[in-house]
Amino acid sequence: MDHRAPPPAGSSDRRTNLWLAGLTIGFLAMTALFLSDGRSHAAPKPGIPPVDAKFLETTPWRQTYTDLVKAKEDLSDYDCYSCHEKNKPPPIRFDANHKILIPKEHKNIVMGHGSHDRNDLCYNCHNEQNLVTFQVRDGRELKFDNLPPLCGSCHGPTYRDWEAGAHGRTGGFWDRSKGEAQRLSCANCHDPHAPHIPTRPPAPGPHPLHAVDAAPAQPNSAP
Amino acid sequence: MSLPSPLLDKTSDRAMSRRSFLRGTAAFGGLTALAASLSPLRELSDFTSTDQFLQKYYKELTPDDMTKVIKRIEGDVQRQYGIRPHVRDLKPMDGVEFVYCLNLTRCIGCRKCVHACVAENNQSRNPEIQYIRVLKLPHGSLDLEKADHTYAPESVPEKGFFYMPVQCQQCKNPPCVKVCPVNATWQESDGITVIDYDWCIGCRYCEAACPYFARRFNFAQPEIPKDKINPDMAYLGNRPRKMGVMEKCHFCIQRTRVGRYPACLEVCPVGARKFGNILDPESEVSYILREKRVFIQLKEEIGTSPRFFYYFDK
Repeated sequence: MDHRAPPPAGSSDRRTNLWLAGLTIGFLAMTALFLSDGRSHAAPKPGIPPVDAKFLETTPWRQTYTDLVKAKEDLSDYDCYSCHEKNKPPPIRFDANHKILIPKEHKNIVMGHGSHDRNDLCYNCHNEQNLVTFQVRDGRELKFDNLPPLCGSCHGPTYRDWEAGAHGRTGGFWDRSKGEAQRLSCANCHDPHAPHIPTRPPAPGPHPLHAVDAAPAQPNSAP
Repeated sequence: MSLPSPLLDKTSDRAMSRRSFLRGTAAFGGLTALAASLSPLRELSDFTSTDQFLQKYYKELTPDDMTKVIKRIEGDVQRQYGIRPHVRDLKPMDGVEFVYCLNLTRCIGCRKCVHACVAENNQSRNPEIQYIRVLKLPHGSLDLEKADHTYAPESVPEKGFFYMPVQCQQCKNPPCVKVCPVNATWQESDGITVIDYDWCIGCRYCEAACPYFARRFNFAQPEIPKDKINPDMAYLGNRPRKMGVMEKCHFCIQRTRVGRYPACLEVCPVGARKFGNILDPESEVSYILREKRVFIQLKEEIGTSPRFFYYFDK
């Protein structure tokens, strides 16, 4: 029945045993590997840098005269008569194109109120007779800490919205019985000399869920 | 009657038989596979406590139950993040219905609201979960197909574009609530659609039903740096979520139900965001809906009737 020649005794046994031992050691090694570090590893997550804390700030970026008074800060910039003489309105000078010339003492002021030169005149708002006050077109004299009616004398609808709480940033409590809402003045957001709110870098956009090879396309970047 | 072959004889006596080798290998392999399949359990250490597993539905919880649940959540958060939070179960206020108005003339697309929301509401930083998506649209169209939400110019706003932040619209007729098979999300009397994170089964039907891409799913264990946890928490609001549940904007329940403004509103540098009680005729939102050019509820033709209004100045 058995026509196969019996294999040479010693060598075959040894080979089988070696195979079995090898397999066993292999399995044991795999077991050890699994037990030590067995969890399946997801693809490494793309790192997302934490967002800059400046994007979380809730304070307005400008301080008004009222804020400076409250914070007991230096008000010397508002003490006009430490340089100017009383009852002697400082003259306004213009260049050849009828643009206003800012004297070097007021170099920090950039004029850009609207698109027409007629808006860039000091005495539209400042009172030449009494420099520490504002003058409204209707003849009223307002103190530095009472800015909104001055702005509102030209920007009526905006003033109306601001009074109703619909223009300008707010904070604090919507429920006035529980606490106060934060009200800001015009100059907390707008530089009165150049009221257009400046552009700024945006906070980072959403990151893709999975790592991508190429940098995300940025279509429609500023023309 | 044949004699056992010498080969068989040998293997059965001295070496292993083919059958027992195969049997042993199969048994070993089977055990390995079983262990491998059970291995995820090792990562579950403090994942689901018995209390959490047996917790009842939010609306069936008695005040006593709620106290216990809140204690359990506070303990969980402390263990995980090393900070003792203040968790509250805030109920809707009487005579209050919240409405949000957003001024598209003012929005400059700076995305500060997005990140203030993430910080306030303990959203996962990686993978990133954000409730607000700011869309950049070319002037003169409201074609959302043309919207770009990954814009990254040097400065905003860009000429020729306007920006439209989209978040949960807190619909009066919310499709997400209708599709939830376990009622884990519902609309409260003040108009906020909330989620019970402990009741959600993670089927994501609501995400599919929402026409505004407002709902976010925790595909992975949320990751929040320990020092970035906001300890002022609400059960239905910003308490930390776990993997496998939905979340979305809830108008900052932990703030608005105690009378405060939402975080996205407070951080908006241009005052484009307005929030308040529409049932109060003196509120800002009443004034806006009455006086301003409120031009859309987003996708109003589909009948969801959002409580989120976009408007223009002038």
